[in-house]
Parts: sequence; C-alpha cells; structure tokens
Amino acid sequence: MKHQIRVKVNAETHEAQVSSELTLLEFLRDTLGLTGTKMGCGNGECGACTVLLSGAPVRSCLILAVEADGQEILTVEGLARGDRLHPLQEAFLEKGAVQCGFCTPGMLLAAKALVDRQPDPDLKDVKEALGGHLCRCTGYESIFEAILAHPR
Amino acid sequence: MNFKVIGTEAPRPDGREKVTGAAVFVADLRMPGMLHARVLRSGQAHARLRRVDVSRAQALDGVKAVVTGARFQRPFGICITDQFPLARDKVRFAGEPVAAVIAVSEQVADEALKLIEVEYDPLPVVLDPREAIRPGAPLLHEDLGSYARVAGINPCPGTNIFHHFKIRRGELEETFHRADHVVDREYEFPSVHHVQLEPHGAIARLSPGGDLTVWSSSQAPFVVRHTVSRLLGLPASKVRVVVPYVGGGFGGKSDVTIEPLAACLATAVPGRAVRLVLAREEMFDGTVIGRGLYARYRTAVTREGRIIGEEILLTLNGGGYGDYAVNIVGGAAASATGPYEIPNLKIDAYGLYTNTPPTGACRGYGHPEVHWACERQREIIAREMGIDPVEFRLRNILGPGKSNALGQIMEEDHGRVDLCIRKVVEDLAGPRYFAGRGHGPGGRPAVRRGKGIAAFMKAPVMPTNAQSGAIIRLNEDGGATVSVGAVEMGQGTYTALGQIAAEALRLPVEMVRVVPFVDTEVSPYEWQTVASHTTWAVGNAILMAAADVLDQLKVAAGAAFGVSPEELEAGEGKIFLREAPVVSLPYSRLALGCTRSDGSAVNRPVIGRGTFVPSGLTYPDPETGQGNPAADWTFGCQGAEVEVDLRTGEITVLKLVTAIDAGRIINPLLARGQVLGAAAQALGSTLFEKLIYSEAGIMRNRSLTDYKIPGPEDMPLQTRVIFVETPEKTGPYGARGLGEHGTVGVPPAIGNALANALGADFYALPITAADVIRALKGKGGGLRAQTF
Repeated sequence: MKHQIRVKVNAETHEAQVSSELTLLEFLRDTLGLTGTKMGCGNGECGACTVLLSGAPVRSCLILAVEADGQEILTVEGLARGDRLHPLQEAFLEKGAVQCGFCTPGMLLAAKALVDRQPDPDLKDVKEALGGHLCRCTGYESIFEAILAHPR
Repeated sequence: MNFKVIGTEAPRPDGREKVTGAAVFVADLRMPGMLHARVLRSGQAHARLRRVDVSRAQALDGVKAVVTGARFQRPFGICITDQFPLARDKVRFAGEPVAAVIAVSEQVADEALKLIEVEYDPLPVVLDPREAIRPGAPLLHEDLGSYARVAGINPCPGTNIFHHFKIRRGELEETFHRADHVVDREYEFPSVHHVQLEPHGAIARLSPGGDLTVWSSSQAPFVVRHTVSRLLGLPASKVRVVVPYVGGGFGGKSDVTIEPLAACLATAVPGRAVRLVLAREEMFDGTVIGRGLYARYRTAVTREGRIIGEEILLTLNGGGYGDYAVNIVGGAAASATGPYEIPNLKIDAYGLYTNTPPTGACRGYGHPEVHWACERQREIIAREMGIDPVEFRLRNILGPGKSNALGQIMEEDHGRVDLCIRKVVEDLAGPRYFAGRGHGPGGRPAVRRGKGIAAFMKAPVMPTNAQSGAIIRLNEDGGATVSVGAVEMGQGTYTALGQIAAEALRLPVEMVRVVPFVDTEVSPYEWQTVASHTTWAVGNAILMAAADVLDQLKVAAGAAFGVSPEELEAGEGKIFLREAPVVSLPYSRLALGCTRSDGSAVNRPVIGRGTFVPSGLTYPDPETGQGNPAADWTFGCQGAEVEVDLRTGEITVLKLVTAIDAGRIINPLLARGQVLGAAAQALGSTLFEKLIYSEAGIMRNRSLTDYKIPGPEDMPLQTRVIFVETPEKTGPYGARGLGEHGTVGVPPAIGNALANALGADFYALPITAADVIRALKGKGGGLRAQTF
C-alpha cells in the first residue's frame, strides 16, 4: 500500500508516495539519493544509519518512512553550512576520528544530538551517547576526543 | 635529515568527503538499468547436492535469471584452485552459495530465493581442525591431489591437509635431553570475524563488446582481475576492476571474496549491471572468517633461563576451502617463536579443511594466533623457573646478529624489540608488578588488579615478487597527480603516500593529489593492499617515480639554461642552479613542455614512473623452512593492566600500552590511529569474540547482537602508544609497516595480566567473566583455565 508523506530533510521539503514497508533508510538512500547515511546491518545493531528525526537520534533502518511523515530529518549531508563544516566535523578531522568513514555519519549525528542537548558533555556522557554505535577502525578514543574537544 | 612533510600530521585528503557523507562506497553506486542479486546459501555444512530446482523461482515476475553451479564449470583459487563460484556437486560449509537470483529488486530476488528447491544428501561434518587431521575424519576434498596449485604449497592428498609447512633447525631430541626444564602447553585462538562496518559489495557488468567491469569493495583489485579473467576466459585487459573507498578491510576483503560470483552473475544478463551487496548475516558465513588456530608448544630451557629448543605444532582451521588460508600456515610458523632466538626448532604447521566458512586473511595474518601461544608460554616458563618475566624475555630476545626461525640474520636497522619491552615496562610503572601475585586496590577486597606484557614481531607475508607501481604526472600548475594501485580502506594510505610524494618532489603536500580510487585500467599494478606493506612498497615505488620526475625536470631545465643537469637542484617547486639559486625555473613552466623565447619546445611533458619489487626474497626450503621469504620485521611490545571483579568475574582493562618500532613515522596521528584501532580489534578477540557453531556446523552467532565486538563502553580507560623509530634501510624515509601490528600482542598481554591478577592461566580465547569465575572456583580444566 502507498502512502503520501511530507518530510523536511536537511531543510528541504520533500513529498513522496512511499510503500508502507519502505524504511526511512531506504527512503533517504534510494528515493532521495542521500547515500551519506550508511547501511551497516539493517537491524539497528551498528548505528551507521543514525539520523536525527525531529532532533532525536534514530536508527533509520528501524523506522518506516511513513513514521517520519510531518517531521524534520537531519542527515550527514545537512551538517555543514555550505563550505563551512560543523564544529563536530572539524573536530573529527582534527583528532583523527575518521578512518574508513563508514560509521562516521552515524557517529556525527549521535554526537550532534548529544551536544545540542548538553553543550559541555563529559566522557561518560559521550560514551553513553555513542552506545550501540560500532566502529571497527579507530578504537573510539579519537572519536571521544573529537566530541569532547569540539569548539562550541 | 630535515623533513618538510614526513613526520607531520598532514590532513587526510579523504577527510572532508567522509565527514560530509560525500565519500562514495560501492553500495552507493547506481548504474543505469541496474539489477539486483541475492544468494541462496547452503543450510548444510557438508552434503552432496542431489537436486537444485530453480524452475519456480525463474517463473516469478521480475526475475531476470536464476543461476546454479551447473552453469560455471571452472574452478578458481589463487594458490590452490579448490572452489567454484557456486557449489557444484558438493557443499562444504553452511553459507556456501548454491544458487543466485538476479531480479529487478532485492525484494523480488529474496522472494524468488524461497522458491528454489534444494535436496541434499548430508555427509558427516568436521568442524575442529584437530579432528580433521585424524585418519578417518570426514574427507572434504576427495580430489585434492589433482587441484592446480602454485609452487611451495604442500598438500597431502587423501587427507584434509591442504598445506603442511615445516621448520627444522638444529637437533631437537638431544636438546630436550639436556634441558633443565621443559614446559608443555596447548593454546587456542578461535575463529573470529573481521566485522568491517561496510558490508561486502560488488557490481558487475558485461558490456556488449565483451568487456567485464567489476566495481568492488576489494582490497585486491588486481587479484580480482586475475581471478575473474581466468574464471571467465577473458584476457586481463578486458576485465576492469574499480575500487572506490572501502569501509574497512582487515584482510577480509583481500584476495577475492564475492567478486568471482558477481562476475559470473553478470554473464547471465549481458549488458546489465548486477549488484550484489551482502546482508550483515551473510558477511559472517558467506565471506571469509579469521584466525582459528590450535597450538602446542613444548619448550626446553636451561637453568640460566635460555630457551635452547622448542617443538611447535600448529593446526589451523582452513574451513571449506583452503586457498585463502594457505599462506597463513607458513606465516604463522615463521613467527611462531615470537621475537626470540631459539637455536633448535621443530615446527609443523598444518592447514586443515573443515566444514566452517573458509578462513582468510585477518589483521595480523597468523601472528596474533601464534603470539597468544608463545607469549603466554614465555610467561609461564619464567614463572615456573622463578625468573622475572621481563628478564627472561631479554635473555632470549632477537636482535642484531641473531637469527630467527627461518635462519635470517637480524641487522641493526631491523628494529629494537628490547627497547620496546623496556618502554612498556617503564610505562606500566616499574618492575614491581611482576613480583608475585596481583593486588587489590585499597578498600576493595573483591577486586584484583594485575599487569602483563607481551613482545611481538611481524613480517609481511607476501609473494617473493610482490609488485608495486606508481605514476606521477606533473601538472601545468607545478603540482603532481600520483596514481597507485593501493586501496584506501581507512588506514590513510593516500595521506601517507601523498606525504612521501610531496617530500620526494620537494612540493608542499597540498600540491600533491593521490588519485583516490583504483581502476585497474589506469592505475599501476599493485599486488594487493595487505600485509602492512603499502607504505613500504608503494612508498618505494613513489620515491622512484619522483626521482624520475626530478631527473626529467633537471634535463629540461639544463637544456633551457644551457647547463648540465648535474649542476641543478630541486626545491620548493623549482629547479635552480646550485651555484646561483636565483637562476631557476618553476615546475609549472617545465611540466608540460617548456618553450624557448622563439617558441621552440625544450622538453616533453613530465611523467614519472616507479616500480618496486622486494629484492632477494626466496622460497623457504620445503624440508627445513630455512630461506629468505620475509622482507622486513616490525617489532614491538604491548602491556596491559587489568582489574577483575572477583564476585562477577568482570574484566576491566585499565590500561593498554604499545611500544612499536615501525621505523620512521610518516604521519603520527594516522600511525597512532592504526595502532589503537588494531589494539581495540584484538581486545575484542581477547574478551568477547568467537564464532560458534552447532554440531551440524550451522553458525550460531552471525549477527552483531550475538557476536559482540567492542563498543565505546569497552575501551581501556587509558591507552598509550610509544613509537621507537629505528629507520628501516629498505623503507621510504626509513618507514616500516604498522597497520596490523597493534593486534599481535594484546591477547597475551591481557592473558598475562590476568594470570598476574588471579593466579590462573587461561589458554583459550576469549576470556569471559564466566571463565574467570570457573577458574576461581577451580572448575576450569582443559584449555579453559588452570589455577597455579
């Protein structure tokens, strides 16, 4: 069955007919072509597909596109302002928190949700916010450092 | 030597793309008219295929083709041609591809898979290599003797042994007679999975002109080209392999994995691109797994604490197809002693076919496996003999003038493992912790702490003629474009190689671009991006290409100035007269052909070429293993401090220290990231990770909830990386490999720290809270744990 949805993605409004089983991840990647959001497992186990849905981090592989109807979505493509990177993006680069880059979009959005809610987090807050986000390259330390050090 | 770029934290050229979501991975590619493939995998670990009926699947709307093994009769394999892209008469592991559907969408393909009927005649299953080696074990490959294979592979037809590698040095029996003490133990490093965040993906298309293109998440585009061209009977020039960014490899995307199948599928729908991207579950049982080694060490020691002889038996789980694991057998054997000189040795390493998914390369390639055994063994020997474990290691340590298990003599520039040990011991707070048992922190009687170290060495395991190339094109603005065949999978290779090129070309690093993908049609040949050898080998090729560029520039400038090229120097993007530096020409004037005042051309465009092959490597002797197969070694030491809750058994790693002599460090930020990432991966192997099978050989934990890898909450509270920089004679600017090495010493360092804390020896990984509790209750036994 098809449903009409209207969502704002990275400040741009999209209207689309989507089937009821289409996930938000598939909608973003396949319908809108926003492939910055990654599919690592499809089961909500790795965190790579995390986006912000009305400001809250969600696993877009576990959310249906129809559930996002009427809401605002932020993906990694919407973090920078033109050429100006978001301070978290800058901090990830500076601290060496990016290796293969596959977990990076999800990590960045989880981090953004954290610092939006709590501008001055400590290490415990950071670890908690990144709970369920897997990275196999960095050993996480550089990611912690980037979030703790990012300029506010 | 004063460096301008080497040793700096130059930013990653791929960084901005990766933080903005613009970086393209295989699964992000969309081709016109692209079709989607899904694979039906065997639900049996060992069976004859009686019937595969695809007629109902073929009839489903949206299905373009359904293919089975009947269609593809050629076997493939890099070292032993022992497998087919789709099973033919037999399946040898649960997860092996039996049929594949190509359809208009993944959903339709998935529906069609359910309509395929397969009948199996089950055969007895063998999952443990120690069982598989016994006479009478279920035989996986009846035709092993007739398989084509490369030189140096020693299979035993009529058994499950696909490779037997031997090392023989000195006189073992007599050595054990005169030993004052003998220690005999067994160890297990179970099979694990790499768990790259990016699932394996490949898109293949056969053009109407008969050219095949494969876009792949591969670490080994040229191996894929070779394998696919042989499999399909196409000239190598008609097979093009393109690799964009790879989302983590760790060896599990090296050699070939899904590409032969993807290429075969493309031939079923000529003209259409076929996309095969694995689901997370399929990565576990449908690609390659890692490790899976049992080791028995029997060590002869003198009263003075000298190791005089060692007998080592290594039994490697190769899984259903041994081709991927052949060289792990030899690599593990070559480093099985760890970084010690042992004059008398008998090492037998066997690779065994079993009914698990095939074992492939996995960050460390045999080295973490044997170091788990040998560095636990060293600790136990020292303890039993009442010698300080640091002192015991240093008495036997490998160093200049001493020879390793292969008979290779170490030189000064090979690195300082002794120094790495001292640095780690110093950092873990002095020698105090090695004396006696661990201690409880004040006021917490139910908690014990302990410390331990493990020294390590690793050589790249590679063909004696592993080749690398580099092409440098000088551009009209005086900058350079560098093409290499190495893959960027997170390690930062394009950053490090760009720094090497910039230093060699005397250019600022911003003026050098390394082409950020590999395309076998335009990129120079590269063996594959494995073995921590890229900085070393491709870096050397870049040095040669850069020298070629500078030579061409000097000849051109010499002609323009009317002087000999020997009178010229290069620096800051200019060629200038040594005696009068103001007389200069910028690269930009020379790059595409400088002209004289009358318009006549002085020179041709500048394109530098560099090719590298390691010199002097030879096959090891088949009877003794002695020879020169290893090009260089990276030595190091790791140390851990652990805390154990005696009530729950919970293990917390308080501190993890690595000292590594990787020669000159090209980029400290990236180097540190490599070491810490590797250590985190090994932390998973030490405390959580193990693939589990049912008795029938079905993998039980093929998801990220059932197979836990370290998460943010599992990281050590404190980490330290110390670089000891003994420049490598054969490396670019003195660099050696370091990508894998952080994995090697972590398991034994933690195992030794736990022994120190608890008075219990653990012999099998992973070491879980349940193991700790069992050990404390004296209920360990076998390989699990024993108290002392």
